[in-house]
Amino acid sequence: MKNNVKVARIKADLTQQQLADEVGITRQTVSLIEKGKYNPSLKLCLQICYAVHGKLDDLFWVEKEEFE
Amino acid sequence: MKKISDERLVLRNLQNIKITYIVQTIGILGILGYELAQGGVEGMRQNPLWLVFMLTSVVYAYMTMSVSVEHETKMKDPKKSLMISVVVLILIALVVAYLTSITPNFGYGDGGLIGAIIFICGYIPCHYVYRLRQKQQEDLEDDE
Repeated sequence: MKNNVKVARIKADLTQQQLADEVGITRQTVSLIEKGKYNPSLKLCLQICYAVHGKLDDLFWVEKEEFE
Repeated sequence: MKKISDERLVLRNLQNIKITYIVQTIGILGILGYELAQGGVEGMRQNPLWLVFMLTSVVYAYMTMSVSVEHETKMKDPKKSLMISVVVLILIALVVAYLTSITPNFGYGDGGLIGAIIFICGYIPCHYVYRLRQKQQEDLEDDE
């Protein structure tokens, strides 16, 4: 699913590997999440939000019209 | 080895285990099928793989019960369902016990034994489903 993880990560000045290490996942998973090819669990979504100092709404919210 | 904390990889691991289980089951069925063709039902049963196959089938059946109970859309009264199951089970056990006892070379003792075995083996899953339904009811009551 589409998300704004990549933008938030760059804003937080983190590389994919740094974000992955902070959250305890692999870099491949971060990459797949950013590409929208893997849907993380709510727990992982929150962990990513904490890591990039973002809000769930800003990172993962999708408007109903765009929802696939 | 480090413990996998990545949820995507944990999920993939589970999927791999599922595929392995399918391959293993196909293998076991293939071997048992071969034994069946070679030595008939008795030949197949002598193979320890038969025991493994039956054990996994029983474990899988019990696990499926919990899914089925949660999948029930209408709430069923656990006590009423248990009562119906037990009455049906007793009837089946009595019929089988009677039929066994009138079979040549078998007596009332054998009939009673077979009936008791059927009742015990049938009662355990009935009671298990009863407990699952009761637990589900309690969980749903907490929500109201």
